Amino acid sequence: MTDVMGSHRPVLLELDNVTLDYRSSKDTYDQGVHHVLDRVSLRLYENETLGIIGRNGVGKTTILRIMAGILAPTSGTVRMEKGKTASLLSIGLGFRNELSGRDNALLAAMLQGANKRQASGFLEEIKEFSELGDSFEEPVKTYSAGMRSRLGFTTALMTHVDILLIDEVLSVGDAQFKQKAQAAMKERVKGEQTVVFVSHVEAQVRELCDRVIWIDKAKVCCEGEAGLVLDEYRASLRPESQPRA
Amino acid sequence: MLLKAEASRFSLGYLWWLIEPMLWVAVFYLVFNVILESPRSGTEFLVFLSTGKLAFIWFSKAVSQASNSIVNSQGLVARINLPKSLFPMAVVQESLYRQAAVYSLLVAVLLIFDYPPAVGWLWMLPLIAVFYLMIVACALIGAYLVCMARDFSNLIPLGMTFLLFTSGVFWDVREIEDPEKLSMVLNINPIAFVLDAHRQILMYGQAPDLDHLSYIAIVSIAAIVAMLALMRRHSQLLALKVLT
Repeated sequence: MTDVMGSHRPVLLELDNVTLDYRSSKDTYDQGVHHVLDRVSLRLYENETLGIIGRNGVGKTTILRIMAGILAPTSGTVRMEKGKTASLLSIGLGFRNELSGRDNALLAAMLQGANKRQASGFLEEIKEFSELGDSFEEPVKTYSAGMRSRLGFTTALMTHVDILLIDEVLSVGDAQFKQKAQAAMKERVKGEQTVVFVSHVEAQVRELCDRVIWIDKAKVCCEGEAGLVLDEYRASLRPESQPRA
Repeated sequence: MLLKAEASRFSLGYLWWLIEPMLWVAVFYLVFNVILESPRSGTEFLVFLSTGKLAFIWFSKAVSQASNSIVNSQGLVARINLPKSLFPMAVVQESLYRQAAVYSLLVAVLLIFDYPPAVGWLWMLPLIAVFYLMIVACALIGAYLVCMARDFSNLIPLGMTFLLFTSGVFWDVREIEDPEKLSMVLNINPIAFVLDAHRQILMYGQAPDLDHLSYIAIVSIAAIVAMLALMRRHSQLLALKVLT
């Protein structure tokens, strides 16, 4: 399958034959070496929303981490356009439990590259959007899971990066907040933002993504226009009787 | 900001900064003076012990905590490519504030037991600076090793106990009669030297051996520079080790 869309646009980020292995302490896998990614090549074009689908444990999150520069590939190269930043948005990680929601939001915004003044500027917006009210000043350890994800989602949404890497986040909060979150995310995605979006929820991928890459067994299995890839992905899941973990 | 997070965690139990070291001193006093009957008199031994233990506690706590700091920050490591040296550095920085309180406690002990402040106490400034460099160096090395193989985190408490016994916290290195053995202990174990220097300055008004002190400083700085470079180069490898 060829990438029909976006090929005329500038490439922001390119993975070329990226392989990632690590040594596993157990005698599982290939003599203790776990192949997370095996010669994965992909391109991310400016302003597009790229979806990555695949079953649990095929290396989707690892791809995002490599894109964000958190992990380096064992072999292969990652090329990022100069001066661009990629930042990973994943819910529930990176919180400091002893600090208030406000401090955590400030910390998160600053870690994503805002300076202290810019970050402080986002805070009221974050408080308002997340609807946390007075809980915003309470330590995060008192938050429920839903409140945590509200805070995480909002913080990530309000800060600005060139490439937003999203790991399974749209299933946040209660029904009402979920709707609001999706609407806000859609607006962001439809705009100038370049997004890489990892999800299991087909409906979301279908709605948000221009192009989809399907990863299976550490390799790129299929790549192309969202609807087509999703149809193939679904077809591949049906005959198998194994649960989807 | 990481520092703020660290500090706020401890501000909850602010008083513990002082209570814990005091309890340690009390335990050691009970064992070595009341039960084992140290050759020194009660108050002299108490001051001697406080000086050694309150200084040693800085090293042991800071290095132990810093060693686990990267693996304990899995959430942040998974999310963003930060310089990994930040985590142990934040721990050491935080320990500096805590130690300021502990040193004030030490001064209080000295004053209460009639060791008046003297101009010679100014030697504490370079000594503390060198001790700090040593702690930073060990914290970085510890954090790196624990990251590369978690097994090291089991060895660190053992190493700390070993240093507690060999650095003359509750016995006096100067009681070693063989001068060659004494200089060997002081040369091999910089902590023994630093603890002894604390006592020489605070209790006896003696200046530390400056050659030895600068030697430790230079080695520590070299180790810090090397570790920072190593951690920068291996930043992503360390992240992989933490996450897998």
